[in-house]
Amino acid sequence: MNLKIKLTLIVILMLNITLMAQGSYTIEGTVLSATDNMPIPGVSIIIQNTSKGTSTDFDGNFNLDVKQGDVLVTSFMGFKTVLTTIANQKTLNILLTEEASALDEVVVVGYGARRKSDVTGSVSSLKTEELTAFPVLNAEQALQGRAAGVVVQSNNGGEPGAPIKINIRGNTSINASSDPLIVVDGFVGGSMPQAGDIKTLQVLKDASATAIYGSRGSNGVVLVTTKKGRSGKLNVEFNSTYAVQKTANSLDLLNASDFADYQNQIRSNQGNSNPYVQGDYDTDWQDKIYRAGSTSNNQLSFSGGSDKVNYYASGTYFKQDGILVNSGYERVSFLSNLDAQVTDKLKIGLNLTGGLSAKDGVSTQSNGSVTVGGDDVVSLAMRFEPDKGIYDDDGTFSVSNLDAPVDNPWAVATQRDDNTEIENFRANFYANYDIIEGLTFKTTVGLSSKNTFRGVYMPRTLKITAGGATDGRAIISEKKSKSVLSENYLTYKKEIGKGDLTLLAGYSYQKTTNKAFLSEGTGTLSDSFSYYGLYTATNLISPSSGDVYVNETEIQSQFGRVNYDYDDKYLLTATVRRDGASNFAENEKYAIFPSAALGWKISNEDFMKDSENISSLKLRASYGVTGNPSIAPYQSLASLASIYASSNGITVPAVTPYQSSNADLKWESSYQANFGVDLGMYNNRISLSLDYYNIDTKDVLMFDNSIPWYFGNYNDEILTNVGEINNTGFEISLNTRNIVKDDFSWTTDLVFSKNKNTVEKLIFGADYFGNGAPSYFSVDNNYILREGEEVGLFYGFDYAGVYQGGTAPAGSAVMTGGVAGDPLFLDLDDDGKVTNADRKIIGNPNPDFTWGITNSFKYKNFDLNLFFQGSQGGEIFNMTNVQLNNGDANTTYDYYNNAWSTTNTTANQPRVGNNSWREISSRFVEDGSYIRLKNIAVGYTFPSESIEKLGIENLRFTVSAQNLLTITNYSGLDPEVNYYGASGDNNTSANTVRGFDFGNYPTVKSVNFSLSVKF
Amino acid sequence: MKNMKTYKYLFLLLLSISIVGCSDLEEHPVGILSPEGFFSTVDDIQIAVDASLTHAINEEIWGRKLSIALMLRSDMVNLQSTQTRRVEMDTHSITGDNEMVYDPWIRIYLGIAAANNAIAGADDVTADETIKNPVIAQAYFARAFYYFHLVRLFGDIPYLDAPVEGDAAYSINLTPESEVYDNIISDLEFAKTWLPNTVASRAIPSKAAASSYLALVYLTRAGTSDNTYFQKAFDEAKEVIDNKETYELDLDPDFQTLFNADKIDASLEPIFALDYNAVEADDNSYDQICPMTGVSGDEDDGGWSVAVPTMAVYESFEAGDYRRDVSFQTEATIKGALVDYTNFTISGNGSAANQPYIAKYTRYPGQYARGNKRATSHNYSMIRYAEVLLIAAEAGVEIGSPLAVDYINEVRGRARNGGQSTSGGYTEQAFPSSTIPADLTSVTVADVLEERRLELAFECKRWYDIKRRQLGDQVFGASGYEGAKPDWNSAVDYDTPIPNDEIDRNSNLTN
Repeated sequence: MNLKIKLTLIVILMLNITLMAQGSYTIEGTVLSATDNMPIPGVSIIIQNTSKGTSTDFDGNFNLDVKQGDVLVTSFMGFKTVLTTIANQKTLNILLTEEASALDEVVVVGYGARRKSDVTGSVSSLKTEELTAFPVLNAEQALQGRAAGVVVQSNNGGEPGAPIKINIRGNTSINASSDPLIVVDGFVGGSMPQAGDIKTLQVLKDASATAIYGSRGSNGVVLVTTKKGRSGKLNVEFNSTYAVQKTANSLDLLNASDFADYQNQIRSNQGNSNPYVQGDYDTDWQDKIYRAGSTSNNQLSFSGGSDKVNYYASGTYFKQDGILVNSGYERVSFLSNLDAQVTDKLKIGLNLTGGLSAKDGVSTQSNGSVTVGGDDVVSLAMRFEPDKGIYDDDGTFSVSNLDAPVDNPWAVATQRDDNTEIENFRANFYANYDIIEGLTFKTTVGLSSKNTFRGVYMPRTLKITAGGATDGRAIISEKKSKSVLSENYLTYKKEIGKGDLTLLAGYSYQKTTNKAFLSEGTGTLSDSFSYYGLYTATNLISPSSGDVYVNETEIQSQFGRVNYDYDDKYLLTATVRRDGASNFAENEKYAIFPSAALGWKISNEDFMKDSENISSLKLRASYGVTGNPSIAPYQSLASLASIYASSNGITVPAVTPYQSSNADLKWESSYQANFGVDLGMYNNRISLSLDYYNIDTKDVLMFDNSIPWYFGNYNDEILTNVGEINNTGFEISLNTRNIVKDDFSWTTDLVFSKNKNTVEKLIFGADYFGNGAPSYFSVDNNYILREGEEVGLFYGFDYAGVYQGGTAPAGSAVMTGGVAGDPLFLDLDDDGKVTNADRKIIGNPNPDFTWGITNSFKYKNFDLNLFFQGSQGGEIFNMTNVQLNNGDANTTYDYYNNAWSTTNTTANQPRVGNNSWREISSRFVEDGSYIRLKNIAVGYTFPSESIEKLGIENLRFTVSAQNLLTITNYSGLDPEVNYYGASGDNNTSANTVRGFDFGNYPTVKSVNFSLSVKF
Repeated sequence: MKNMKTYKYLFLLLLSISIVGCSDLEEHPVGILSPEGFFSTVDDIQIAVDASLTHAINEEIWGRKLSIALMLRSDMVNLQSTQTRRVEMDTHSITGDNEMVYDPWIRIYLGIAAANNAIAGADDVTADETIKNPVIAQAYFARAFYYFHLVRLFGDIPYLDAPVEGDAAYSINLTPESEVYDNIISDLEFAKTWLPNTVASRAIPSKAAASSYLALVYLTRAGTSDNTYFQKAFDEAKEVIDNKETYELDLDPDFQTLFNADKIDASLEPIFALDYNAVEADDNSYDQICPMTGVSGDEDDGGWSVAVPTMAVYESFEAGDYRRDVSFQTEATIKGALVDYTNFTISGNGSAANQPYIAKYTRYPGQYARGNKRATSHNYSMIRYAEVLLIAAEAGVEIGSPLAVDYINEVRGRARNGGQSTSGGYTEQAFPSSTIPADLTSVTVADVLEERRLELAFECKRWYDIKRRQLGDQVFGASGYEGAKPDWNSAVDYDTPIPNDEIDRNSNLTN
């Protein structure tokens, strides 16, 4: 018996029953989409002011007991709600119109949801189509260029499995993390789900939106909800993507014979009469280490539900072979959402998600400390002698002889093992209870855990890295973190006359535990065990306290919010959160974070109601305080350090005071004002949002080294709240529906962001210097923070052209022993010499503005998506060229052909083998502006008639390409640089180390083929 | 009413969850070493004490910076290199920005803080004082050892005897020199009361160490004329001498043994020593005195030729004094040839000198962990039995004790024993005992000071002797071993300037 017959029987049965009931009867209805007349399943139909209702089946049909005068409320996400009064109809066709304007979308905010038109804060939301417009490994990537004020960048170019860095409205810190808070399905600090599983993604930007997250809100909040099932038939969806990738660019480097000539020129310039002996090979190292990469992503999801129970279950398998030989990434993940309406008033649900991933890493952008030359494959491939082969004649891997010996890039890429495995699980249970009309209580309890295993093995075949006395190096580390969260809150909604009041009050408790362990040894028995040969190591190396630890943080909070809308014209939002956290110092355990916002829907005022052009206009203003709590646990406590000691000839344990307690250490506080306008014109065909913000961050954590030495602390610096940073910015978000016709449509989305990040106050007002170069460069202080200036400016000598011999031009000087062809620098202190006093600010990595523009076209069953993204005005410090122009490396044809020589005295680049050693000067500062065709995608959706008989509801095929075209003047590999400096890949270095290009995993170009089937 | 009931349940539910989640938000660190909670057993106190004593072996103190500074400031060692910080030491034009001033300052205060940590932490340990106090006494000894260096170097200093807490410590004033001495004496008296007579290694403080240091502190305190302190110094030193059997002390028959890392452990002469163990430990916790005093180009893993005695110093030793053979290197193999000191400059090294070099450290460093004889196995005697005899002799002369002459003769006698040393380079050679007996019949203060200069040559004692006896104008004049030191100014140069960076941190420290 098929379902239809069954249903008919039921309907007949119900009819019989209802006929007996007085005045009430069963109405049969169908809900259709007004656009295409297709039935809509899962639509809720409720009799107004009752709890009676039903929802449509997969054919859009419903039956409901009604009586005359009942008002049916038909509502469905994304469509306008329709009210129908019952006047003895027996059947009913209800047409739902799609909500025309973005302003009527529902926006998820912290602990609730609002109509977008009622939102008073600054919130960017991303649509599902935008998230899946092109395949992304991490959903975060889809945010780039799509949300105004949000900067997204991979931590390491195109590296498979590299973390993605999100920065909202500039960074507000120096030593603390600038990562936003990520909240997934209400779980604070969750990890980002797969793009295909995301239903909504909002970025909360201003204090009005983020202050409900209190001490964790100042870097912005990314709120994600995952897909849920709908009542109705089973939906099966299969999405598959396959992509081929290659490196976006490579440098034009000398071949073996030109290289030998170059080395001989250097020798002759340096007065060395021994000729360079050219090797027997001609190796293009870039060609050796790069290959065609590929990614494949397959997602299968099931969703559906009955009247009372909905489910969504999805599994995703992702695999990537990186463009660097031996690099790869693999991940399998699942997500399921189960919701049950247990009683009229009680709804419960469970959200489960988990994943396993494995990464094969290749050493890139190393800090250069492993050996003198570092073990970073990307920069090695540029530096290494082209006249050497992979192997020497004795069959061992070749080693560079130019300066300090280093292993060759192929050897490092293929011999070194670096495997990272991550297990991620989260379960989140909720119960929602409608206590009385308008009053709801929600409680959630969630658990999450993340385990990371990493094994690194450097075999002795890497002669420099792990040969000789090291004799093989094995490292195994594990990190575990777990978090428990309990949140309980009441929401009360009440209409009071023309006013609409929503109150929220809640309590939250979260406990996070982190544990880590590392073991390292050298002198392994054999290379064949990889890092598991650790147990055979003859020399175990003690791990540092940063590698072996346990720490625990508890945070408990009370929070509340008032939303009051009067007459759909005046909007008020006020929030407050009180956070108490264990990692806050003794005198500063609790903090209160308030915010308030006002909105005025001018278009609903009588004088504008009838405006033909303006369909909506809203002004917004907000002010509030949020915090950045990046105080590591126990950081405010006095502590001891373990040091080397001996007694009676043997090494003994010993502890010495490390730091004194700092009872006043507290979070960084951001005071943010935001002013915004939302404008809709021509029936909301054009919608525009403008936002201006000003963020003053105070109590910025900095290291105070003014603690008297006589305190006897091993660590003579202490973290204190002294700095101030300001961010001001302007954001534009414009959506236009240029052409809307049955067969053809064209829409444009534009985002524009401008942020200015200024250092207002530093400790003692003194310049703060840092080093964004690998350690073997032996340069220091190549960036600076200075009061009144932007963050992370380049610092070095100001290049003044090539010295032609004789007296240096006025105001410039040449380094000691300079002869014609050597570089000239501005002599700022006029002492005729090049000294550290001649260094100054030589560049600014911060862009003037960034933008993204998406054009979507739809013609019949074809669609086309073009997404350009760009950055204007930021400068790049090309450290790759610093290395490649230094002489102890291969070089580019650009330098080889255009360097100063006695026959080319008009050249603007100094002679080869000049007297400057890895100079940090303005010569290497370049414009980093770019325009990039981030994505181009062509899709075809098969007409439903043609696939219906195959039992397929929807079939879609897409071809897309990423990073196909980049317009830039930057001479390096790629203008999206992200070298994080000698300090390593901690996530705070990005606050200040900006715009340095050196040896990161290259950005990739890819072409994708995607298939999407829905049954 | 139904609603009321619902509210009630709801309220109870909320309450129960809140209680589950309620926390005092106190941090309870496990993985972090926290001073609260660290100390529970006597062994924990020992761990803190060992840290305190270990700071002294660091490159910033005895490993190089302080030891070499003390040598250069004396009248016995010249500077052969040109680094400004060393030039300042050698010429007595020291500024508060000198690394050889602030590095020892920083490191000594680390040692003091570690000792204070041990002493304060001991309060948390429940144990009988007969078990606990001998360990705490080591911390008192360590603290006195460090402050004694500071007070002799700087005079008035910031004095802390407990872990730093609160803001007041940021602006403390200098403690006057005399008060610092009183505190040192009281720490050493506590140490003397509780430390055992003998210990497993001379690098561990003993009762004899505390007592010997007390004698030296009293002698220093006596200056040139305070007889009360000379009497105390004499009594204290005599007590050590009279108890030498109990303390297992004596002069070593062979003077060379004192500077032989392989033999020193068995010697009865060291009373308190800094013990290096051929470990290239983190944070420069190892010694570099060997290369600093060694001959550059010496094929026996040559030195850097930085601190080199003048010819006059070499000549000030009598030819038959065995101590001259032990104290000086007069031969080296350079560029494949065995040469004597008149040809040391053939190495071509810019700082090489044709003079005998210091041999006390480079000759027998034992096993060492880093090239140029760094990270050796030396035990550097901070105080040894010969010095106690000389303290007793000097104080004895001042108070008119007839024992003074016996004490100095004992030291001179051992020096005439001869022993097993080398040719001046690396060829082992036996030295017969001298035919001239050590038979002074009368002794003056000058005799004792001269004996100290010879016996304790290059052991970093001389500068402190010059200061306590106010000998500067004499020894840094034209007739001094290093010739005239034009920058010497006795009005200011006895005290080392407090580091400028420290005064920037606390302006009350201006002296």
